[in-house]
Amino acid sequence: MGEALNDRRRAMIVAWVGQEILPHEAHVRAWLRRMLDPDELEDVIQQAYAQIAALSDVSHILSGRAYFFATARSIILMQVRRARVVRIETMAEMSSFESVGDEFSPERITMGRDQLAHVRQLIDALPGRCGKIIKLRKIDGLSQRQVAEMLGVSENIVENDVAKGLKLILQAMADGERDAERRITGMRENDKSQASITTRDR
Amino acid sequence: MTKAKPALQPGIADQAALWVARLDAAGNNAELSGALRLDISAWMDGDPCRTGAFLRAEAAWHMMDGRTGALDVADAGLEQGPQPQGEENQDNIPVAGAEGVDEDVVPAKHADGGDSQLHQPATAATVALDTPMSSSRRIVLRGGVAAAVAALAFIVTSSLMAGRSQHIETGLGEIRRIPLADGSLAAVNTLTEVEIALKPAQRHIVLARGEAWFQVAKDPDRPFVVEAGDVRVRAVGTAFGVQLRDNVVDVRVTEGEVEVWRVGDEANKKRVSAGELASLGQQGRTPLQPPPVETVEQALSWRDGQLVFDGSTVGEAAAQFNRYNQVKLEIADPVMAQKKMVGRFRTNEPQAFARAAAVLLDAKVDVRNDRIILSVS
Repeated sequence: MGEALNDRRRAMIVAWVGQEILPHEAHVRAWLRRMLDPDELEDVIQQAYAQIAALSDVSHILSGRAYFFATARSIILMQVRRARVVRIETMAEMSSFESVGDEFSPERITMGRDQLAHVRQLIDALPGRCGKIIKLRKIDGLSQRQVAEMLGVSENIVENDVAKGLKLILQAMADGERDAERRITGMRENDKSQASITTRDR
Repeated sequence: MTKAKPALQPGIADQAALWVARLDAAGNNAELSGALRLDISAWMDGDPCRTGAFLRAEAAWHMMDGRTGALDVADAGLEQGPQPQGEENQDNIPVAGAEGVDEDVVPAKHADGGDSQLHQPATAATVALDTPMSSSRRIVLRGGVAAAVAALAFIVTSSLMAGRSQHIETGLGEIRRIPLADGSLAAVNTLTEVEIALKPAQRHIVLARGEAWFQVAKDPDRPFVVEAGDVRVRAVGTAFGVQLRDNVVDVRVTEGEVEVWRVGDEANKKRVSAGELASLGQQGRTPLQPPPVETVEQALSWRDGQLVFDGSTVGEAAAQFNRYNQVKLEIADPVMAQKKMVGRFRTNEPQAFARAAAVLLDAKVDVRNDRIILSVS
């Protein structure tokens, strides 16, 4: 397979993760928080991204959101099976999965369309020089070198602020809107009927 | 990597952000960014979690461009659909249909497991609803749907002309959905041979090998009977799957109820209802394996081009993939083959399965020609 094709494939997956996976990370985390402690949660998120990074093609995935939830779910189930000791809450929570991850409510579609505005908000919320640098780089489209010249600072400073800005944005994506968790909690009350999938295994 | 499970790595998100910032600083300087990519590979060191963290940071950086990503995805230009003119011709069935018959192979389907309605407008609606940004994927799907609709038209016509009898044979990995003249629908799985004869008094199907699922149009005067070896399955209006394995016929009912019996043992007709699986050994033999743990719907996920595992062992999952692909999966370690697993994959992605299994079981993956071998790392 040609290098160029690999690069295009890669670019496509990066774009897809930005549009279809990252925006839902806060919701997946909110769901995971109900059954995992913070370290376990972080571990599941890391492994989910590890699996997504192993995909060679994403064109068959219609809903990144559903895929993200399903991936997280399969990681938990896998760990549950390995652990052989299962927390009841985990299983109850797992059973609420289907409707949390799968369905497309109008609200969720709107969230996708508003993503652009949301990204702007995140950038606008960045502090001081870091925020200024990110705006010049990302919104005005200047290169890091041009940003450095314009602000009269070293390229090193620009690079550090870019890294800092990206870290803060990633953090904000992880935290998400404050009401995400509440929304998921509300949803979950309807879902008790879904049978627990793993119980018959033991 | 000998630990049972990849331990949590604090700080890799921040480290990944640093790499992306550096890569961005290198800009178009190919030499610099090439060297950086080597450093990044060294940092990842084959660790999937670091690889994932880097992808996440890159994706966030890309997302911050604020352009609607459709542009970039389309620019990436990977998938232009089965026809280059797929987008313009989404409504122009005859053109897409010219070479479209093969496209009856399920092109792409919901990851969210809805009942597949590939040939119906509902699919296009679902796609349009999906997201405003996935234009390239939409191209693929529309192309696929248009071609599939054309294929459908072709098949309907040909089956009418052939006088209500139809022979269907699928190749390795091929999955076809075929509407029948009576309004029923057949989904035909990989390496399958079916003979369909819609006679006035009876709709008679012979499953010579492989697996098929039927959604039967209601017609009380014309029972729908499937013959698989010496097993018979009779339905009036219902939906069910029949799989002919080595010594066993599996009948999976998804809707309503069917009657199942063996030739010469008509007194022992058995009723099988929605959600149930009946495994019948062929004459003189008893089933060798216990029935699979997946639910009926999960076992029939192939209709959407998917394989769903929910408690199957890794060895069983590998055998499933091998039904569909030239590339064969081998689980070298018997202990690993016995591990139970959960997951959802495309039938044509044994590589994705191997990678996921490698991550989750801490296994080593070797690729040799047409074989993917999983062993203890």
